[in-house]
Amino acid sequence: MYIYGLVKEQYKNKYLLLKLALFQIKSDNKNNLLGVVWEFLNPLIQIMMYWFVFGLGVRGNASIEGVPFVYWMLAGIVMWFFVNAAILEGTRSIYQRYHTVSKMNFPLSVLPGYIVMSKLYIHIVMLSVILIIFWFGGYLPSIYYIQLVYFIAFTYLFSFAVALLASTLAAIVRDVHLLVQSALRVLFFVSPILWLPNLLPESIQKLIQLNPFYYIASGYRASLLYNDWYIVTHWQLTLYNIALVLVLLIIGSSIHFKMRDRFADYV
Amino acid sequence: MKESVIIKNVSKNYKMFSSKKEQLLELLYLKPKVPTFKALNTISMTVFEGDIVALVGINGSGKSTLSNLIGNITKPSSGEIIRNGEVSVIAINAGLNNELTGLENIEFKCLLMGYSKKKIKEITPDIVKFSELGDFIYQPVKKYSSGMKSKLGFAISVTINPDIIVIDEALSVGDQTFTNKSLRKMEEFKEQGKTIFFVSHNLGQVRNFCTKAAWIEGGQLKAFGEVNEILNQYEAFIKEYKTWSEQQKETYRQELLNNRLVK
Repeated sequence: MYIYGLVKEQYKNKYLLLKLALFQIKSDNKNNLLGVVWEFLNPLIQIMMYWFVFGLGVRGNASIEGVPFVYWMLAGIVMWFFVNAAILEGTRSIYQRYHTVSKMNFPLSVLPGYIVMSKLYIHIVMLSVILIIFWFGGYLPSIYYIQLVYFIAFTYLFSFAVALLASTLAAIVRDVHLLVQSALRVLFFVSPILWLPNLLPESIQKLIQLNPFYYIASGYRASLLYNDWYIVTHWQLTLYNIALVLVLLIIGSSIHFKMRDRFADYV
Repeated sequence: MKESVIIKNVSKNYKMFSSKKEQLLELLYLKPKVPTFKALNTISMTVFEGDIVALVGINGSGKSTLSNLIGNITKPSSGEIIRNGEVSVIAINAGLNNELTGLENIEFKCLLMGYSKKKIKEITPDIVKFSELGDFIYQPVKKYSSGMKSKLGFAISVTINPDIIVIDEALSVGDQTFTNKSLRKMEEFKEQGKTIFFVSHNLGQVRNFCTKAAWIEGGQLKAFGEVNEILNQYEAFIKEYKTWSEQQKETYRQELLNNRLVK
C-alpha cells in the first residue's frame, strides 16, 4: 500500500520535516523589516475587517448562539488561516522546489509535509494568543481542550492530505493551483466561518455539513467556547470526516508515488 | 578489486512532447503518437572501486544523462544500475536558499542531502573552513558573488563522505587557488579508493586525474577502457572533426540525431 510508504517516509524524515519547516518561516520573512510579525499582523487586519463588516455591519454586534460574535468568529477563523495557507502553499510546494532538491535523493513527499508543518507552527502561536484573549473574555481552560488537540491534529492531517494530492497534480498540470485557489475561496464562504447557515433550507444545511470545514470549525468552537464533546455528539460527522481524510491520503499517496519518478519530465 | 558500479544494458528514452495536451494524454495512458528520443541506448559497463572514470563526448551525446542515472537522480527506462555504496552528486549550485545565511545554508543543504543532525554538527566547521568565506558565512547567500556561492556549494558537496561521487560540473569554481584546492580534495578522494565519475571537456584535467574513460557518442558507449588509450582515440576524432567543413559537421550531427529519434 502506498499510504504505508507515505507514513513511513514522513516518520523516517521527521527531523528533516520539523527543521525545514523552521527554515521556511525564516526565509519567508527575511526580507520584511518586521519579519515574522507579518505572519500575525496580516491575519489581525483581516479579522478586524471581518468583525467590522460581518459582526458590526451585518449583525449589529448581536451574539451568535449565546457567544459574542467576535469570539465565535475567532475560534473558526484561526483554523481557516491555517488550512488556507497550508493548502495553497502546499500545492505549490513540489513544482516550486523541485529544482532545488532534484540533484539529491530527497524524499519528495516531505515537500508538502514541511510546508504544512511550517503553517502548523504559526497556527499554534496564533491559537495561543487567541486562547489568552478567550481567558480574559471569561472562556476559561477546560477538559475540552483535549478535544482541541484532536481537532488540531485532524486539521493538520486534512491539510496535508489535500496538499499532497494537489501538489502532485500541480507538478504535472500547473492549473491545479488556480483551481485549488478558487475552490478554497468558495469553501470559505459556504463554511460557517463568518456566518451560520441556520436560516437556509434543511437540505442545503445538510449539504454544507459535508464540507470538512464545517466539522473543523464546529469542533474548534465546541472545544473552546461551548464545552461540548463534539466528536461524540456528532459521531456521524466524525466518522465521515476521518473516512474522507483516509480516502484523500490513499488517493494522494498512490498518485504521488506513481508519478514522482516522472516529475522531472513535467516541472 | 571490488566492483563498485555495474551498469547493465541501461537505456533512457524521453518522449518528445510538442504540447501540454500530448503530455496529458500520455498521462491518461491514451498513447498519443509522440516521437521518442533515445538519450542513452543499451549502455553496459563495470566500474571498480578506486576507478576514476571520465565521461567524454561532444555536447548532447548523453554524458549528463548517464551521470544523472548513476547519481540516481533519474531512473533508467530499461536496464539496471547496481551501486555498491552511497552515491553523491556534486551539484554545486543546487540546494542553496538565497534568503538564508551561508551558515544556515550549510545545515539546509545537508538536510536536503539527507544527513543526520549529529553528522551535520560534526562536519559544519570543516565546511566553513573549506569554503574560505570568512565572516561572509553569516551573510545571506543572495549577497554573495557567483564565485562565493560556488565555493560554498562545493565545500558542502565535498565535505560529506560518499563512496561514489559523480561530478557533472567543471572543477573551476572560484579563482585559481580554489580550483587547485578542489583538485587536491579530489586527489584525496582518489587516494581513499573512492569511485569517481567525472564529466569534463578539459582533456588535460581528465588525463591527469582519471584512470579510465568512457567515450559516449550519440547515446551509445563508443569505447571504454584505460584513460590514455580512449583519450588518444577521442582526441584523434576531435582533431578530424575540427577539419571538417560546417556542412560536414552538420550532416554528421544530423545523422547521429536521426539514429536516436524514433517516430
